[in-house]
Amino acid sequence: MDVEVMRSYLPLYRDALLLTLRIGWQGVLLALFIGVVCAVILHLRLPVLRQITAAYIEFFRNTPLLVQLFFLYFALPKLGVRVGAALCGVLGLGLLGGAYMAETIRGGLESIASIQSESAQSLGMTRMQAFRYVILPQAVSRSVPGLVANVIFLLKETSVFSTISLMDLMFTAKDLIGMYAKTLECLTLLVVFYLIMLLPVSVLGSLVERRLRHAEFGP
Amino acid sequence: MKKVNKFLALLLIGALTLGVLAGCGKSANEPGSTAGDDGFRTLDEIKESGVINIGVFSDKSPFGYVDENGDYQGYDVYFANRIGEDLGVEVNFVSTEAASRIEYLQTGKVDIILANFTVTEERAEEVDFALPYMNVALGVVSPDDAVVTSLDEIGPEDEVIVISGTTAETYLEKNNPDIKLQKYDAYAEAKTALENGNGVAWANDNTEVIAFALQTPGFTVGIPSLGSADTIAPAVTKGNTTLLDWLNDEIVALGEEEFFHTDYEATLLDTYGADYEDTLVVEGGAA
Repeated sequence: MDVEVMRSYLPLYRDALLLTLRIGWQGVLLALFIGVVCAVILHLRLPVLRQITAAYIEFFRNTPLLVQLFFLYFALPKLGVRVGAALCGVLGLGLLGGAYMAETIRGGLESIASIQSESAQSLGMTRMQAFRYVILPQAVSRSVPGLVANVIFLLKETSVFSTISLMDLMFTAKDLIGMYAKTLECLTLLVVFYLIMLLPVSVLGSLVERRLRHAEFGP
Repeated sequence: MKKVNKFLALLLIGALTLGVLAGCGKSANEPGSTAGDDGFRTLDEIKESGVINIGVFSDKSPFGYVDENGDYQGYDVYFANRIGEDLGVEVNFVSTEAASRIEYLQTGKVDIILANFTVTEERAEEVDFALPYMNVALGVVSPDDAVVTSLDEIGPEDEVIVISGTTAETYLEKNNPDIKLQKYDAYAEAKTALENGNGVAWANDNTEVIAFALQTPGFTVGIPSLGSADTIAPAVTKGNTTLLDWLNDEIVALGEEEFFHTDYEATLLDTYGADYEDTLVVEGGAA
């Protein structure tokens, strides 16, 4: 293994890490937003919107991100809609992640026994108040492990960005291998950089989890 | 205590990763994989197994592509089939991408790469090239309404499409580092991106961009020849001398029957016409 070569590649990997993180986090935020909206719609069984949401979730959960990116980047321009590569990445991650997040949050909401909502309403709360102050806080804390898993999943999915010409970590490694054939060095850096990106997310996730589930874990 | 456990777990992950990586160097050449102890199969081993693995493109018409019946076709494939015939073995085509051609040889996944592989110094350090069978230079294709006829016309915000792992990429990175490159990892995607107007031009082997412009209305090759004239040759794993020698003898022998002219007429004539025949074809490995 040639350490000198690895050192010379570091700036390229750093740029790729930053790009992956930038697009990854925007995608994750979009996914969380979509997820919360969809989960609330599903939980409150809002008519019409509920069917649309269910269709959206099934559509995006049952097509690979690679296919979605291909469609956004290569097919939409044929219909006259031009979307930049970075925006495609964010949209792809957001729409795919939104479907997963929605199901995770809905799972949290459903896990709270309906008797709690009924009890709260019998104490004079409106349905929305019961949802906001009784159901939601418990549901969020129960969803956290699933949400963290989704975030890591989404950040790892960025490795298919190479098809739409985004120089993410995976593509940078493949590109350097193609040009200079330093395979072992490039792939070692690749693994190390993915760990640098994802281990803190894992650790941060479990800290958030402990904090939010204070009642269960104890101080 | 729980916290300590978590950190121990993370440390363990780190240690395991390094362990796996360190082990890679040794385990790659273990017997039992397709390749032998040296990471490649000798001529005798190939003949004995009755199958030769040849890496070709599956999306680079008319050199290596899969036709509507699912069969491999093209200039490179025509040659590959002849190699199989003369060796008396069956040819197993392995589809490769530009950037993974060296890897496929080094890991013994294929015995020969016949995927329009341009001979360069950097590559020759990693693999062994046989005698050439085709000439090539770089070319740049762009839309009719904004033809790029010189690299100087490319503005600071313009992006030029290249395919990762090709000589066009290496050439532009080295000689024109100011030009922004938009990189793709497959031919099909680069072509679609150019059609969609994602970049101002596409730089690649001139054979490829000429074929694209001839097949796709609305595109012109503004720069037909860029950089030095290079050759294309079969490549084998570094050190696989028995196969390399056989290939060289084969290419010389085929020159006597003008095999590559026949190949051109069977596979490239429809695309390029007769004009390019003597420019592109190299017979008997002679320059």
